[in-house]
Amino acid sequence: MRNMTRRMGFCAAGALALALGTSAIAADVEERTLTIKDHAFSPAEVRVKAHTKTKLIVTNQDAAAEEFESPSLNREKMIRPGQSATILLPPLKPGRYEFFGEFHPETARGAVIAE
Amino acid sequence: MLGTFVITWRETIEAALIVGILLTYLDKIGQSSQFRLVYWGVAWAVAAAAAFAGLSTYAAAFFQDTGQEIFAAAILGLATVVLTHMVVWMHHNAREIKGGLQHKAKLAIAKRQLWALAVLAFVGVFREGVETVLFVWGLFLQGGAGQSVGLAVTGGFLGVGVGVLMTWAFFKGFGHLDLKPFFRVSGVILIFMAAGMLATGFGHLIAAGLVPGIVEPLWDTSWVLSERSFVGSLAAGIFGYRSHPSLVEAGSYLLYFPIVLGVLEFQRRLHTRAA
Repeated sequence: MRNMTRRMGFCAAGALALALGTSAIAADVEERTLTIKDHAFSPAEVRVKAHTKTKLIVTNQDAAAEEFESPSLNREKMIRPGQSATILLPPLKPGRYEFFGEFHPETARGAVIAE
Repeated sequence: MLGTFVITWRETIEAALIVGILLTYLDKIGQSSQFRLVYWGVAWAVAAAAAFAGLSTYAAAFFQDTGQEIFAAAILGLATVVLTHMVVWMHHNAREIKGGLQHKAKLAIAKRQLWALAVLAFVGVFREGVETVLFVWGLFLQGGAGQSVGLAVTGGFLGVGVGVLMTWAFFKGFGHLDLKPFFRVSGVILIFMAAGMLATGFGHLIAAGLVPGIVEPLWDTSWVLSERSFVGSLAAGIFGYRSHPSLVEAGSYLLYFPIVLGVLEFQRRLHTRAA
């Protein structure tokens, strides 16, 4: 019983921290969405605000997994079939940052354009 | 077919390198009877990777948020610790051999170290396995871009087969090295791999927003070596190379070397005093 209350206490503290964390971040994070279909990204070019954090939400509508990969953004993330994944981008200098799908690099290509 | 071949081939080489070092090492110290531990680690890793890839389809909420990164960081953290332990232990044994034990050819292996071997084989294969399973499973469902499912899947499996064969051939040659150069070369390879795993682990925590990258990116070396080139992708997979690392990733990578060298030096002094 005591264990239980302690665990609940941890959960509450965790939830509080999470809520505080999200609200603190929410203020200065831009959100962009991206879809993978037929092994291609749409839109192929994502415009984001320079020097601002961005939350890239990528939805994979294909039946196969895809790996979002970008050396210039220093990010890679597996996106399972039919699921979405959130990719946090740091504040970027103005410029073009290419990304691609590692499993279908011929067709799945795109770029983040910070301006 | 070529595209799918290259992906599974690369993942296999990355995983097989660790397994190859473990097996060659056991062979060299006259403990080939312990091979089964490494094989057990590999078998469990393949099963766990398949189960994990399958189950993760049903745990969408966990993966679309930062669960994927936290999980990867935990695996890599564990891998760094076990790999470091392995390096220290190999270095210690290399010294014993130098001290005249070589003719006995057999070095005692403690329980703890056997456990480390199996864990290392497991982690080395599991790390690459999840991705490979998801990839090959995707091929079964859809095939690669503009090609038949059969060809794509064949390419995927050929990649795994050729990867294993090539690593095996490499260790056939590498295994003929004398003990001392073998320890030295594999020690250096393992230290770079561990540094890469540590930095990659931090990279996942940064991507999850749990650790600040501080300066992102610190530099851009893509003009020297790009991860999109073949050599670059191998360097990324094996040694954790990044062309655009954050300060925390580059820093943890570079700091790993003085730390592990310090541990080795400490161990050396401890034994000189004891002797």
